[in-house]
Amino acid sequence: MDATLKELVKLEQLTSAHPPINKGKAPAISDSLDSLLATLHDQKQRIQEGRSYEYELHGLAKTIELRKKEIDDRQKEVYNSLARYGKALDKRFPNALPTYEPLFASEEAEAALERVVAMHFLRTGRFSTAETFIEEFGIDIPSHLQSQFIDLYRILTALRNQDIAPALEWATRNRSFLQSRSSPLEFYLHRSEYIRLLLSSPPDLQRAISYANKHLSLFFTTHAPELRRLMAALMFVPRERMQKSPYEDLTLPAVHQELEPMFATEFSASLGMSKQAPLRVVADIGGGGALARIEKGRKIMRERRSEWSQTDELPIEVPLPPENRYHSIFACPVSKDQSTEQNPPMMMACGHVVSKDSLQKLSKAKGIVKCPYCPVESTLNTALRVYF
Amino acid sequence: MSNGKVNLEGVMLFEQPFARVPFENYRKVFRTSQRVIERELTAVQASSNDLAKRAKLGSPDPEEAVKSIDAMIGRVEGLKRKLSDLQDTVGSSTQDVMRERLQHLMSIEEVYSSKDGDYAQWEEIRLDRWLVDWVLRHGKERSARKIAQERDIERLVDIELFMDIRRIEDALRSRSCAEALAWCSENKSALRKLKSTLEFDLRLQEYIELARTRKTREAIAYSRKHLVSWQDTHITQIQQASALLAFPPTTNCNPYKRLYDPTRWSNLILSFRLAIFNLNTLPSEPLLHLALYGGLSSLKLPTCYDHVTKNVDCPVCDPWLGRLAEEVPFSHHVNSTIVCRMSGRIMDEDNPPMAFPNGYVYSREALEDMATWNDGKVKCPRSGEECDFSKLRKVYIS
Repeated sequence: MDATLKELVKLEQLTSAHPPINKGKAPAISDSLDSLLATLHDQKQRIQEGRSYEYELHGLAKTIELRKKEIDDRQKEVYNSLARYGKALDKRFPNALPTYEPLFASEEAEAALERVVAMHFLRTGRFSTAETFIEEFGIDIPSHLQSQFIDLYRILTALRNQDIAPALEWATRNRSFLQSRSSPLEFYLHRSEYIRLLLSSPPDLQRAISYANKHLSLFFTTHAPELRRLMAALMFVPRERMQKSPYEDLTLPAVHQELEPMFATEFSASLGMSKQAPLRVVADIGGGGALARIEKGRKIMRERRSEWSQTDELPIEVPLPPENRYHSIFACPVSKDQSTEQNPPMMMACGHVVSKDSLQKLSKAKGIVKCPYCPVESTLNTALRVYF
Repeated sequence: MSNGKVNLEGVMLFEQPFARVPFENYRKVFRTSQRVIERELTAVQASSNDLAKRAKLGSPDPEEAVKSIDAMIGRVEGLKRKLSDLQDTVGSSTQDVMRERLQHLMSIEEVYSSKDGDYAQWEEIRLDRWLVDWVLRHGKERSARKIAQERDIERLVDIELFMDIRRIEDALRSRSCAEALAWCSENKSALRKLKSTLEFDLRLQEYIELARTRKTREAIAYSRKHLVSWQDTHITQIQQASALLAFPPTTNCNPYKRLYDPTRWSNLILSFRLAIFNLNTLPSEPLLHLALYGGLSSLKLPTCYDHVTKNVDCPVCDPWLGRLAEEVPFSHHVNSTIVCRMSGRIMDEDNPPMAFPNGYVYSREALEDMATWNDGKVKCPRSGEECDFSKLRKVYIS
C-alpha cells in the first residue's frame, strides 16, 4: 500500500495549486501561463507604443511555442505519474474479483434479500435508514416487528445512561423465559444497581444494603457464591480502596457495559432471533477470506482439470472460528463421509464412533467388529446410534 | 481466519474497485484538463502565427494587432481560470477521496487480530459500503444517500458513478445513443485496451434506426462515416448492415429480423454496464452478493434445513438467508466438529462429549453443571430422558 500512497503524494505535488508544494521538472502550468501572459502584455504595450517590429512578432510565436512545450511537458509528467499510480494499484490488487453467473436473481431471492437488509437496519438500530429503505423498496415489514426493535433500542439507550429500570421491567416480565435459558440477566441488572449504590460518592451504604435485602436476596439459590462476594465487598468502600482490594473487578466498567450485549442477546432470543445480526455474520465470513479461499480452491481444480465431483459442495474446507460453528458435523474417521440420516454415526462398545456403513464393512463373522482405534471387539447389535 | 489473524489477502480481494474508482475519476479530470489546454493553446498559437505572417507581408495595422493580442490574453486568462477551477472543484477533492480510501485500507493492515474492536468497526463500515453498492445497482438513490449520510461514509462510496450510469442507461432506455457515445469517446483509449466493442454496437444501432425509418441515404452516409472504420474487426457485421437496407423492418428473414429486434436496446444497456464496470474493475455482481456467496457456502450444512437440528444463532437457519443459501453449494468438511446443543461450545479433549443411554450427546461441562444443581441427575433437553450422571458414557471422536 505504501507504494500507492507514495505515488499519490507525487501526483498531488505535481497538480497542487499551491506553489510551495508544487514540484516537478517542468515549471508549474500556472507559472508557464503567467509568464506567457507577461510576454503578451509586454508585446501589446510595445505595439501600442509603436516600438514593435516584425521579428518580435515572429519571436512571440516562438515564445508561445516554447511555453506550450513547457506545459505539455508538465502534463506529460502528470500523465506518467498517473500511469505509475495505476501500475501500483495493479500490483497492489493482483486478483480481480471473480465473475459469477447472476446470483440471487429470482424474484423470490431478491425479495428475501431485501427483507434481510431491512431487518438488518432495524436490528442495528438505524430506524431512519430502515424507514427510507423500506419505503423506497416497497417492502412489507410487520409494524409490530419494527416497534419491537424500537423498544430494544430504547432499553439499550437507557442502560447506557445507567438506567436499568426499563431493562428490569422487561426481565421481570420475561422471567420464566430467562430461567428456561438459565440466563443471569436479571441478577446482573440488580448487581449493577447495587454496585452503583455501593460506589457512589459519598457511598450510600444504607441504601445499598436495603437494595440487596430487597432484590438480591431472591437470587440466593442460584448465585450464592457471587452474592457472598457482593456483600463482602461492603467492607472495602469507597471506590479508591476497593480498586486496591480483591474486589477490584467489581469497580470495572465492564460490570455495567456487559449488560447491553447480554440484554440484546436475550431480547433477540425471546423473539426467536440470533445473537448477532445474521447479515453481518455472513458478510464478515465471506469478506474475511472465505471467497478468496473458495476461488483458490476452484483455480486449483481447474488447473488439475479435475471437475469437482460434487458440484453441490465446495471443493475445499473454509475454516471457521469456534463462534461460527453452529452445528455438529460428523465425518466418519474411516470413510471420511459426512453422516446422514441413512448413514448415521454409531458408537461401539468402546466409545469410538464410526458411520453405520463403515461399521457394516468392518464387521466379520457373527457380527463381530474390531474397533480400528483400540483393541476392543464388540458386536454390531451393541452399537448405539448417537445424536449430536 | 480461525487463528484470529486477519486474512488480508482475502479482505483485499474485494477492495480493488474501492481504490480504482476514484483513480478513474481523476484520470477523467486529467483528460478534461488536457483537452482544454490543447484547445486554447492551439488557438493562441494559430492567432500568433497569423499575426507573424501578416507582419512578414508588411507592417500590420497596430490596432488590429492589439486586438489580436488582447484576444490571446483573454484565452490564456480563461485557460488559467478553467484549470484552477477544475483543480479546486473536482481535482483536489478526487485526490482527497483517493487518499482517504488508501488510508482506510491501510488502517486494516495495522490490525493484528480479527478479534480487534477496530476490525469489527471496519467490517461494519464495509458492510455498509456493500449495501450502498447493492442499493445503487437497484437504482435506489435515496436509500444509498441515506445509508452513506447516516454513517458518514460518503467519500467511501460511489454514488456519483452510479448516477452517471443511471443517466446514460435512462437515455438508452428512451432509445438515445448520444450519451453512451459521448462516454465512449471520453474513455476511448481505456475501452480500446479492454477490447470493448461497445462503440461499434452503439453506432450499429443508430444505423439500424435509420434503416428502420427507411432513411436509406442517411444510413449510407452514416455507415461511411462511423461503421467503415471498424472494417478490420467487424467486416461481416458491416456487410450485414449494408444488406439490411434491402429488407423492411417487418422482415422475417434472419439475421435482418434480429437486427431490427428492439430487444437489442436492452442488450446495449447490458453491454454498457459491463463496459463501465470493467473500466472501474467493478464486478458484474454486487459486492454484497459475492460476500454472501462466500459466507453462506462456508456455513451451509444439510442440518440447517432440518427443523430438528436448526440453530437459531446460525445465519443459514434464518428462513430468509436460508432461502438465499439454497442457491449456493454446501460447505465441505474433512474433520468432525461436535457442538454441544446445550452450551453451544465445541467439544474437545478438555470438554469431551458424553452420551445418554439413548444416544443423545452433550458436552461434559454442560452436563456437570446440570448435575450440580440437580442432585447428580441429568436430563436430556431433546428426548426428555433422565438418568444419573454416572450412567453417561464418554464418546470418542477420532
